[in-house]
Amino acid sequence: MSSSLFQLFRTGKLIQNGYSVSCKALHSSQQFVKATTAARSQNIASFSTAVSIADGKTPDDQSQKMSKAMKAYMNRAEAHDALMAEETAEYEIGRRHLANIMGEDPETFTDEDRDKAIEYLFPSGLFEPRARPYLKHPSEVFSKRKEAEFDHSGRPFHTLFYTGLPNYFQILHDITERVRELDHFASRMSHYNVALDKDKSLNLSSSEWLTKEEFEIKIIEAMKDYHYEFFIKSMNRLAAHPLSYRAKDFIMDFRKNKPIVKLLQEIPKVMYTAEGVPYMTETGRRKTATATVTVYGRGSGKVTINDKDILYFSNLQDREQILFPLQFCGVLGTVDVVAEVEGGGTTGQSGAIRYAIAMALRSFVDLEMVEKMRLAGLLTRDPRSRERKKPGQKGARAKFTWKKR
Amino acid sequence: MNHFRSVLLRSSNFRLPRESHARVSSVALVQNVLQRSYSRYSPQYIEPVYRIEDLEKIKESGEFKERQFTPVKAALTNQTSSVFYDPLVTKFTNYIMKTGQRTLARDLINKTFENIKHTQLKKKQEAETQEEKDAIETNPVVVFHKAVQNCKPILQLTPVKRGGIRYQVPVPLTEKRSFFIAMRWLVEAGKDKYRDVRFSEQLARELLEAYKNEGRVVKKKQDLHKQCEANRAYAHYRWS
Repeated sequence: MSSSLFQLFRTGKLIQNGYSVSCKALHSSQQFVKATTAARSQNIASFSTAVSIADGKTPDDQSQKMSKAMKAYMNRAEAHDALMAEETAEYEIGRRHLANIMGEDPETFTDEDRDKAIEYLFPSGLFEPRARPYLKHPSEVFSKRKEAEFDHSGRPFHTLFYTGLPNYFQILHDITERVRELDHFASRMSHYNVALDKDKSLNLSSSEWLTKEEFEIKIIEAMKDYHYEFFIKSMNRLAAHPLSYRAKDFIMDFRKNKPIVKLLQEIPKVMYTAEGVPYMTETGRRKTATATVTVYGRGSGKVTINDKDILYFSNLQDREQILFPLQFCGVLGTVDVVAEVEGGGTTGQSGAIRYAIAMALRSFVDLEMVEKMRLAGLLTRDPRSRERKKPGQKGARAKFTWKKR
Repeated sequence: MNHFRSVLLRSSNFRLPRESHARVSSVALVQNVLQRSYSRYSPQYIEPVYRIEDLEKIKESGEFKERQFTPVKAALTNQTSSVFYDPLVTKFTNYIMKTGQRTLARDLINKTFENIKHTQLKKKQEAETQEEKDAIETNPVVVFHKAVQNCKPILQLTPVKRGGIRYQVPVPLTEKRSFFIAMRWLVEAGKDKYRDVRFSEQLARELLEAYKNEGRVVKKKQDLHKQCEANRAYAHYRWS
């Protein structure tokens, strides 16, 4: 077992601290530019042979005429490709070793299995998740960089290369093309008296545009704020077209789901005890208080907090808060609640329990009620916490007495 | 690079946006929202609707769809969907509260309402005819609502400077503001008492008097209205 682990270290290139490796990679490949087709990448490798065929000159003549900068550029491109190939091969070997160690079939070893295996084999006490050991595909570790944007003679592949942002301006051109296509289609529809189908129209309410940072990563080009703003405006023009559903794939390529979608879609299913009683456990936090709450179905409205009755809270307001989600969903007398809470004060603890109860109740009630709970503010983790005191001030906001002299 | 950009944009029939030269953050321009520096929530968050009847109204009006993907703030600790919840009483409790001592404020309100109940019940027992008995309202929340209603001013005086002189100009009040002023006056009247009298006793007395359209607070409102009437001549200073 230990020898195979050692093998893993040697050949699998398990990265203990990804930062230094990726930083090195970033620094060395800063000048790379992107090739947009596979054919172009082939061109890099075979530039000398291509030249001899195209110009009828000998490879030696051409390579002498190439400037030093071009040569260096080509070398760097090749080096990067070689690095990626090597890293990918080593990663694959490491992944297979890991699967064997865990006793799994390498073919069916998913990324989640891989991450769990690393967490199991190398338990880390580090707080920052990014500092913990991981095994990732090189494409996720090394940031994407462009390969070759021009051939041996210095002629760029992309027509918009000299704009400095070829991919960005290509996208803008694509947008205009799409709008013209949609206009043309609309005119044809009206010519043949075909009515517009309202049901088909694009619904963009559940998604939002990529942020500038995400957009830059996607097209591998750094741009100014006004470039991004103009892109968003143009995309909004396209999305606002009545026939925009015809360009759905193109539009959704630059959109991401809103975080709310996750809250509503990932509702865990109710679990059952040995006696067949449905239950759900959730953790809630509010203001340094943490509560672990189990809501049991088929109950009688009993509330237990830290092995005490609801009178654990002497304050009426806190008791009201705990009963709020139960009363809202109309399950006051039909569920039992068992809560363990620690940390914080009375309001923090009751707020944590309220949040946990509401999250647990999602599994018991229908989707419409879940949406109502969300609009009532029961499913939002209250982010308000105590503001720190600042130096030179009496408190968080209060200043020391101002003396004129 | 700008030249190339303009060439390309001209060929694709786009106009160069003037705003591109302005120094505006992309987030603010694109998302078109104002940033609130003091809130822990991002500006997209909307207020929660925690009353079941209000949610039913929203459902009927079809606003569900609008709010479908908008994030919602968490409900506050004094907000519930309970039948015993009254928004006006909650607001009043907050006006009584000092330095965040909500428990104490709530105790005071409860004692005040208890006092009102005691007084009214006593009156009811002492009343002779059935008619009189029916006329006496024992529900303290109802008494409180009526009292606040009776104390609400319609106009207030605001100083307006014209030609070097500050005139007190009568100006109409919004609903929210008039509620706030009425409740503030009631709390102030409750605090304005002899040393041996409890705040809850005093406040109960004030509320009962205001309920009958008598007492200090109603007098204050009427005085304000008289002053507004007196300063009617300056009303046009609001606009000129």
